[in-house]
Amino acid sequence: MGRVLLVVLTGYAVFGLLLQSVRTYADLPARDPVTLHEARIAQLKGSLPPSGEVGYVTTVENDRIFAAEKAFRNVEYLAQYALTQYTLAPLIVRNSPELPLVVGNFIDGPPPPGFLERHGLVPLKDFGDGLILYRRETGR
Amino acid sequence: MSFFFGASLLLSLLIGVLLTYIFLPSGNRKTAGILLRLFAGGGLGIGVTSCSYFICLLAGLTRYVAVIDFALCLAFGLIAFMRCRKKDPGEQAGLPPRKPAARSRLKTLIASVFAVELVAFVISFAVAFLKESHGRWDAWLIWNMHARFLFRGGDLWREAFASGLDWSHWDYPLLLPLSIARGWTYAGGESVLIPAAMGFVFTLLTLGLVLAALSFLRGRTQGYLAAMILMGTPFFIAMGAAQFADVPFAFFALAAFVMLFWVERSPENHAGPLILAGIAAGLSAWTKNEGLLFALIVTVSLAGIAAHAGGWAKAFKRTGLFLAGALPVLLIVVHFKTRLAPTNDIMAGVGWAATWAKLLDWGRYAEIAGAFFATGISFTQGVIDVRVGMTLNPGAVSILLLVVYLLLTGIRIDPKYRGSFFHAAAVLVLTLTGYFFVYVLTPLDLNWHLMTSLNRLFLQLWPSAVFLVFMAAGIPGATSPAGGKPEAASLKAKRTPVKRRTIRK
Repeated sequence: MGRVLLVVLTGYAVFGLLLQSVRTYADLPARDPVTLHEARIAQLKGSLPPSGEVGYVTTVENDRIFAAEKAFRNVEYLAQYALTQYTLAPLIVRNSPELPLVVGNFIDGPPPPGFLERHGLVPLKDFGDGLILYRRETGR
Repeated sequence: MSFFFGASLLLSLLIGVLLTYIFLPSGNRKTAGILLRLFAGGGLGIGVTSCSYFICLLAGLTRYVAVIDFALCLAFGLIAFMRCRKKDPGEQAGLPPRKPAARSRLKTLIASVFAVELVAFVISFAVAFLKESHGRWDAWLIWNMHARFLFRGGDLWREAFASGLDWSHWDYPLLLPLSIARGWTYAGGESVLIPAAMGFVFTLLTLGLVLAALSFLRGRTQGYLAAMILMGTPFFIAMGAAQFADVPFAFFALAAFVMLFWVERSPENHAGPLILAGIAAGLSAWTKNEGLLFALIVTVSLAGIAAHAGGWAKAFKRTGLFLAGALPVLLIVVHFKTRLAPTNDIMAGVGWAATWAKLLDWGRYAEIAGAFFATGISFTQGVIDVRVGMTLNPGAVSILLLVVYLLLTGIRIDPKYRGSFFHAAAVLVLTLTGYFFVYVLTPLDLNWHLMTSLNRLFLQLWPSAVFLVFMAAGIPGATSPAGGKPEAASLKAKRTPVKRRTIRK
């Protein structure tokens, strides 16, 4: 009795999962989001040093990237930052605008008004699709 | 690329299997025994070669890693050959010819369903990979990211650990990132297939180890049923395909338990399995920080149980053998923790006043207990949606199924394995208790910490819990209190027909 119950219930679970997988497969995009994001960020590699550090700015101010994730409000900003680091490793991507070279990742919209000016960030190269490399002018 | 990565996996597998022949030279030569060596050895081999790759990194010798692995393989092969030549007369000679086990219709049916489910399982795993080929969140935030830094960093690979990128948890042990980086080194370049293959291999090894260990210790049907439970656990497949370190950790915890049971199976040759159990426990600490707690609990409980059963001399001997396996790996972990890794975020800034305040905050206990209950019932069902929170979801395969199964079959623990069973069960309970108090003391937001980790902690122990349940479950038509015929699985049981007692609850 125990064996039969177990075979039936695990079979139900395994084939339920298989059915779900078949449905997922039918709806699969050509490329997964991480691969897409990686391809987008990889364009920066030619304009950046292979090692060392760069800064990072995005749609929200830097301190809100982790705060939004901790509060389960928005994990996208942290995901975009982490994937930028994942793509550019072993170059260190600091969650800060206070570096000579700064990656701007604005896939979710522009930064807060005046944010770039306040930190002296001047566009160096626009890669399109919300990806901009900035140079920081410290004298401003 | 695939050929060289395949060669790296094959070398790891060979090294692990040879280790089992070195430490268990006279084991069972039937299918279950060979499969057990293959699955247990496969994972242990990946762990051991991650250690050798780490030593190569420290010494700046990664370009020679293939030569070093090959030399290691040859050396282990030679030692295993010498050890196996000294045949154990009790194990190899004078065995009565083994009668083929009678195959009932139900057994054949279970084996057939298992085979079909295995195919479905592999398809589900493949689709999960195609959906997220880089793995899920923690894979690219932690494990695969660390592998990239180790592989791409060249001579400057140490710099990542001092980078201050705390959010990527650079204090996490390196077994998985090193295994991936080693695969890339063999292949001569990066490929998303290699981290995914590591996820698949560890998931398959865990499944295979449950199947082989139970087939070896209790009978093939028990092995199939337990493996079906794992294949029917959506969260197990999800985490394997997610390329997290939780499934590799689950493998090493399970391997340690299986070896402890093997000690009781061959009490005259307890040294080898104890050393292998130590290696497995050490590798669990090289996989995840939770492994440090696990290894400590296994060591202390082993000493305590041995002292209780046979005095301090036995305790020293058994613990010494276990540590002989664990210490080489733990030394690597200690070197990593003291020389490279930054402070753990849970340990950072822990003060006495805050600790006491948390220990006396009963609301935290209630919140954690509630989360343990809800997650304990639900974790098998799949990935939690942190925005929804923990919900009770007792689906097709959950801990309740195991409880119902035990109620239907009864509990009949082979007296031979009773000590190992209670030891392993105590380790599981103590490990969960340890996790409970980590949450009590965590400096992180408690709800966030519980939501983002508790289900994975349960999963780490799930294969071991399934294994233990099937070690305890009664087998219909098998042993009876009057000394009935056991299921034809245990070679030793056939050789020495001891009068069996059963425990029935």
